[in-house]
Amino acid sequence: MPTTVSVRDLRKRYGAVEAVRGVSFEVRQGEVFGLLGPNGAGKTSTLECLVGLRRPDAGVIEVCGLDARRSPDEVKQRIGVALQSTSLQDKITPREAIRLFASFYRSAVAPADLLRRFALEARADVAFDTLSGGERQRLALALAFVNRPELVVLDEPTTGLDPASRRDLHDEIRRMKAEGCTVLLSTHYLEEAEALCDRIAIIDAGRVVATGTPAELTAAVETRHAVTLVTREEAPADFLDGLAGVEQLVREGARLRFQTPTPERILVELAARLDRAQLGLVDLRIQRASLEDVFLRLTHPADETEAGR
Amino acid sequence: MKAWGEHLAMSIRLHFRNRMALIYGYLFPLIFLVAFWVLYRHENVPLLRHLGELLTVSVLGGACFGLPTTLVSERERGVWRRYRLTPLPTWAVVASTAVARYVLILTSGLLQLVLAFALGMTAPAHGFDLWVAFTLVAFAFIGLGLVIATLADTVPAVQALGQCLFLPMLIIGGVAVQLSRLPPWAQHVSAFFPGRYAVEAMQTCVTGGGLGEAGFALGALLVIGVIGCTAGGRLFRWDSQQRFSWSRSLPWLVPVLAVWVAVGVAAEVRGRALVPPTGVLANPSDAPASALLVAGGPVATPRPATPGTKPGTELAVPPAPAPTPTPTPIPTPTPVPPVWAAITPEDTAALRWDVPPDRGVVAPIAGDDETPDEYTEKEVQTVRRNLITWKPGFDRDEVQRVRNLLYVAAVPDSVQLPVERHLPMVVYTHLTDLYAKEKLVKILTYIAKNPEDGGIILNLSDLGLEAVAGDPWVVRERAYLYAIKFLARLTGRPVG
Repeated sequence: MPTTVSVRDLRKRYGAVEAVRGVSFEVRQGEVFGLLGPNGAGKTSTLECLVGLRRPDAGVIEVCGLDARRSPDEVKQRIGVALQSTSLQDKITPREAIRLFASFYRSAVAPADLLRRFALEARADVAFDTLSGGERQRLALALAFVNRPELVVLDEPTTGLDPASRRDLHDEIRRMKAEGCTVLLSTHYLEEAEALCDRIAIIDAGRVVATGTPAELTAAVETRHAVTLVTREEAPADFLDGLAGVEQLVREGARLRFQTPTPERILVELAARLDRAQLGLVDLRIQRASLEDVFLRLTHPADETEAGR
Repeated sequence: MKAWGEHLAMSIRLHFRNRMALIYGYLFPLIFLVAFWVLYRHENVPLLRHLGELLTVSVLGGACFGLPTTLVSERERGVWRRYRLTPLPTWAVVASTAVARYVLILTSGLLQLVLAFALGMTAPAHGFDLWVAFTLVAFAFIGLGLVIATLADTVPAVQALGQCLFLPMLIIGGVAVQLSRLPPWAQHVSAFFPGRYAVEAMQTCVTGGGLGEAGFALGALLVIGVIGCTAGGRLFRWDSQQRFSWSRSLPWLVPVLAVWVAVGVAAEVRGRALVPPTGVLANPSDAPASALLVAGGPVATPRPATPGTKPGTELAVPPAPAPTPTPTPIPTPTPVPPVWAAITPEDTAALRWDVPPDRGVVAPIAGDDETPDEYTEKEVQTVRRNLITWKPGFDRDEVQRVRNLLYVAAVPDSVQLPVERHLPMVVYTHLTDLYAKEKLVKILTYIAKNPEDGGIILNLSDLGLEAVAGDPWVVRERAYLYAIKFLARLTGRPVG
């Protein structure tokens, strides 16, 4: 599959702080690619270098086959960008903003089409300073689409949005993918990345610590399964004594929670003990590691070690 | 170019939706104009002599406050950051912003002109030239505004920087206070500020000889504008996170300041920094507008020339005062036939009688209950004694003779000597001793009807008074007011 974005060994320093320390990743044509990381990990700096807002100190950025550092204007003709928060002049209307931005590009979508697509028709002629947060974000997306972009870059697009607006935006991103558009988004919401992205790069402290599909990431990282057992009668204190592989046991009345690296063996032994004790099984769940576990494992290894003791 | 045009049109449209911008851009200049009109309400032609100052204040406000305030506030809110994600080049943003500002400033200036005309101002002598000069002034100050926007990280910083430039230019830069009224040190300082050249360039087009006589000022504005706009464009910052940096800015700020210094030095070298009290310059083509005003300042409506003087020569600049205190030579036309003889009582009645009160500060006349102090009384007696043999008081032209005597009251008033209130009655008594009432009424009426005619005296040292007036227009104006006040006394007409 052709590559739409290729970033190699990107570096960006702000004074004494090196925010981006050799970031590399590739985004394939037509996929939704997520940059996932905690606040301050270097996601926004990476994207800002990519879209031309900042000049990188070192590294290679290729967008749509062009060297983004040498041909920034040509790259801007081919991409659309929606920042975390978009600000426009207070008194400009969505219709005027779309028309104005359309004039900046060689080819553009008709303003009426974008207003319809992003559900802004009813608010097309009101001032920007009267729009709600969700409406502003929809306008930001409309502006990002004004030039029929090959690549859409979304920097933490759902931050600060209410649940309904967030759901609408997720639908819109899925629609972009369905239309064949390549999407590169940054987020610190794990569930968002898991729900939307074909592939994810996890960034921490200015470095990419892992790249892959959500399934690949969770499979690649050595994690424990979480076991939750609920019985009708409270289990005796020695109920799990001598059972190998039980870690981080938590008792909450009739509910027992623990983690295990050997879920199959635990399941067999647990069934036998439940049968013997006749406690009355209410619920038994064994869950594999989530992306959150992977993320925490990769971005907070010290915490993980601490928790495991 | 399409993007440039669209952005320009949108900038203008958005400006007219911003209530505060309209108040600052349009209402404040009109308030300034009304203030000037009230301040100089006794001038013969309202506001015409101050149009250069008024328009300069408007351009300064729009370009050095309005423009950077808009740019910086939008940068702070992230508006420019969003524009930077598009292929719109920096030059297009800067150019369309600057042109939009020019359109706004121009419309503001036109609005001022309309109000000035409504208040009775006559048309500027060179309308097209005034537009050209206005455009150059706007160019220079828009460049300055762009530089301020690059220096300031926040809107309060814009206000602080703007005030640092605005107030000195207003007060000692020859913008709000005419150069001829400033002390010499301030005139030297003003030569380094563009405000002086802005006033000079525009006022020369309003009451002077047009662009041809404002070469230096126009050149100064052009150079200042080119450097300012170039530096403003090169240092343009899209993003509020991009803070001001000395290392990046200094290579462009040095030329900006250097050109101000260069213009000031050039003015000093050419001897045009100081405006002499009599307004005489070695090279009349170098004369600033305020100096040209000495010549009587042509107004758009043609005026009848004093008999015996050729049209145009009546505006000749009087020579500089001689080292010895001798009166400025006065034209001595032969009054044949005497022009005042044709004056009728109707002419007298048709004069404007709304003059300042005697007890005010403009054209005052001491009442019977106002006793001068000892020093002032001595001055009064000296003038009374010297007046008897004062040569200009015996001019062959009777109109000029009376006019000269009126200057004896007008000059001390224009420079606000303590004796100013007590000399008018000395002059009045002298005049009534010299002339029969009917003849004096006619001569004074003629003078009041033609306040800008004839020669002028600015130096009364040969009368024993240390009084040298700086602004001949003010002296003429005060002579006119005293003519009206004396007429009121002669005819028993109430004034005020």
